[in-house]
Amino acid sequence: MTGTAAPAALAAHATLAASAPGAISAPPIEYSQLGPMLVVFGAAIVGVLVEAFAPRPARRGTQLALSLGGLAAAFVWTVVIAASRQVFANGSPGHTAIGGAVGVDRPTLFIQGTIVVLAFISVLLIGDTRFSPFVAQAAAPPGATAEQEGLAAGAMHTEIFPLTLFAVGGMMLFPAANDLLTMFVALEVLSLPLYLLCGLARRRRLLSHEAAMKYFLLGAFSSAFFLFGIAMLYGFSGSVSLAAIASTAASNTSNSTLLFAGIALTGLGLLFKIGAVPFHSWKPDVYQGAPTPVTALMASCTVVSAFGALLRVFYVAFGNLTWDWRPALWVIAVLTMVVGAVIAITQTDVKRLLAYSSIAHAGFVLTGVLAVSTAGLSSALFYLVAYGFTTVGAFAVITLVRDPGGEADHLSRWAGLGRRSPVVAGIFAFFLLAFAGIPLTSGFTGKFAVFQAAIASGETALVIVGVLSSAIAAFFYVRVIVLMFFSDPVPDGPEVVLPNVFSGTAVGVGAAVTLLLGIAPQPVLSLASHAANQLFVG
Amino acid sequence: MTGVLAAGTNTDSVAVETVFWILAVVAVAAALAMILVRRAVHCAIMLAVVMLCLATMYAMQGAPFLAFVQIIVYTGAVLMLFLFVIMLIGITAADSIVETIKGQRLAAGLAAIGLLVLLALGIGHAAIGPAAPPSPKYGSGNLTGIATLIFTTYVFPFEVTGALLITAALGAMVLAHRERIAPRPTQRDLAARRLASGQVVGDPPPGIYALHDSADRPALLPDGSPAASSVSSVLNPRTGTEPPQVVRPGEKPQLEAADGGEREPAPSAGSGRAES
Amino acid sequence: MSPVHYVALSVILFMIGGVGVLVRRNAIVVFMCVELMLNACNLAFVAFARVHDNLDGQVIAFFVMVVAAAEVVVGLAILMAIYRARRSASVDDASLLKY
Repeated sequence: MTGTAAPAALAAHATLAASAPGAISAPPIEYSQLGPMLVVFGAAIVGVLVEAFAPRPARRGTQLALSLGGLAAAFVWTVVIAASRQVFANGSPGHTAIGGAVGVDRPTLFIQGTIVVLAFISVLLIGDTRFSPFVAQAAAPPGATAEQEGLAAGAMHTEIFPLTLFAVGGMMLFPAANDLLTMFVALEVLSLPLYLLCGLARRRRLLSHEAAMKYFLLGAFSSAFFLFGIAMLYGFSGSVSLAAIASTAASNTSNSTLLFAGIALTGLGLLFKIGAVPFHSWKPDVYQGAPTPVTALMASCTVVSAFGALLRVFYVAFGNLTWDWRPALWVIAVLTMVVGAVIAITQTDVKRLLAYSSIAHAGFVLTGVLAVSTAGLSSALFYLVAYGFTTVGAFAVITLVRDPGGEADHLSRWAGLGRRSPVVAGIFAFFLLAFAGIPLTSGFTGKFAVFQAAIASGETALVIVGVLSSAIAAFFYVRVIVLMFFSDPVPDGPEVVLPNVFSGTAVGVGAAVTLLLGIAPQPVLSLASHAANQLFVG
Repeated sequence: MTGVLAAGTNTDSVAVETVFWILAVVAVAAALAMILVRRAVHCAIMLAVVMLCLATMYAMQGAPFLAFVQIIVYTGAVLMLFLFVIMLIGITAADSIVETIKGQRLAAGLAAIGLLVLLALGIGHAAIGPAAPPSPKYGSGNLTGIATLIFTTYVFPFEVTGALLITAALGAMVLAHRERIAPRPTQRDLAARRLASGQVVGDPPPGIYALHDSADRPALLPDGSPAASSVSSVLNPRTGTEPPQVVRPGEKPQLEAADGGEREPAPSAGSGRAES
Repeated sequence: MSPVHYVALSVILFMIGGVGVLVRRNAIVVFMCVELMLNACNLAFVAFARVHDNLDGQVIAFFVMVVAAAEVVVGLAILMAIYRARRSASVDDASLLKY
């Protein structure tokens, strides 16, 4: 084709395509309802451009402002959607946007809002460069001269901010995904940046690398199982849409092998992200090896997001098959609570301790999931909020207690901390009490709500196991508190640095929410039950 | 080729059935070999065999587009990336990464085989329907059919994969790109630094051939003392301070038996240099 | 060929990949076994697409390939970082090369 022939041929082709019966008509894209996610992804992409074009000294401030601004905007937008009369007109449970790929409903919006706020706090921790826990030059081998130069120059990988935003975007999409393909893509979008971020610790870099690789290999392994489960469900129903799977499951009872294989394998993939026993083995290692702000992000946002996805899949797609998956999930919930609580007793590292506590808490949330009722859903949502804020605050405190070489991770270093800096030790003790579920903390309210919902659904045995493992868990939390307040300080004990505005905000918000949800939980409880009143859209 | 193979999957000709069985056996054998062979390179090649078998099977099942994507992207790009890294790391590098995954080998194998039996039985019992009859969407219309789905039903995941690709590029940059913090020293800088250090010329070479043909032997300064700086810092310099033997032509140099016993005696051509 | 055969083959390949992940100790080989599992998933998707007479399965397989490509980049980058840290740390510090 030369000269004038080319445009003419193109035009002819275009008219042909437009008039052809198979011409693609673009699907409606509800930008206003996808806004929160688009804002976060957009901020991440702008962040990449900042990396490319902004001068190095300006990058950190720009990235921090961009990330925090994007997350704040996403939160405001989420609230606006939740309050919108248009989406939830006439008691509608919500809307499936962009060709049914994304569900916009109240539980999802509640989860997304929680994720955005928790991510905001985690980004504050990431942005605290005073004792940056991130490596100066990831490409330089540990101990190399290039690493020393990077440390001396105060270099920082500001790519961490866009990576975090990508992960947060994936986390927001994960519970909103209304078909399994979108959910799989979201799972990868949230996982890949986290794999990378895990390997960027400044100190004990070999441990950090190992954490990244372990997380990556096991994560890829579990996502392969998740994918095979999707394949089975697709084979069962001929579609990956959650609603289509549910309707096929209701009508077609002949081909249950594929369906059950699909439920088991997708469940396995989701339970891995949550860290339920027996898919928990990555959690302690990864939590210990990752830089503490990234651990805070994973412990709060990833868990919330994965529970959102689990709730959506099991309530929407497998909602009619409660009797089939409930026993299996029951066993997993019991195992998760008991194993998490028992193994935590033997831990000597603070971050590992919190990792096992996170496993145990996943078991408590599973109790709420197992209730399979609006009360169960709302209690699980409330628990996720309560746990998320407490854990972010606890990890923020860990960043403050420092040895000359880095954070004082080993529990023995924390001995007598209460005498040397009573405020920080007191706040940490308060978080631990919240984890243990002592009254006047959010942990108590959350556990109470979850157990109440479970009993209402006739899961009394599960609640008994839950209460017993809470008691076991309380033992080791109290042990740490005793260690901090009633044992002699170690001679060259860790220094407690004064929190600056970033870590101070993180600790403060965590503690305030933990206290508030313990004393006056009603607003959030009613918000959660309002959100859960209408289940997920299908 | 694909047109012939995509003719149908229920009423396949004997030829196509034969192709399936050959490919299936080859694929399973290659997959088994992949987990049995010891070297990573061989694993990669076995994986390539599996992938090529699967590509042909996609073509046989009416997925010509996927067949070519499988060959071009998966076998051609992804697997080559694996091979690059294997070549870069070398064959022995794998050992250092071992301890991070503690697999209870036997239990894992047994559990997986049990699960295999369970799933195979399950799939055997599953009433998987017959294949759809051939239609344009498995042949000439395949590409447009896929494109329609990608840009309508699955447009959002399609856009979100963009985030995935950016993440991958950014991550590889973070982990691999070493930013130069100080500007690269120029020739002038190096020269100035050298003058400032007081040592204008480079370090003296080690005393190879003075007595031994080994690089750990320091050179001797004019006053006969050993020059420690002449030996590379990764070696332990031998600080034997015996004076250089003057070897006259025709005479064999005396070698100490203590440390030179297992060594080859210095070649006579080299020993002559000791006196110069 | 009946689609059942393809699905059975995909199950077998998936399980071989799974066993490989569990028994092999070399991280690269483990990762390749994960790729084998993803390939097995793709085979199942394509087979089921023919059963249900829609192209969704093929599209999903295409997505899986895209996702796998991104995953490979990240995974190999992490493996390279580990390799560099463990193998070359000593080499980098000891300056074998003088001026």
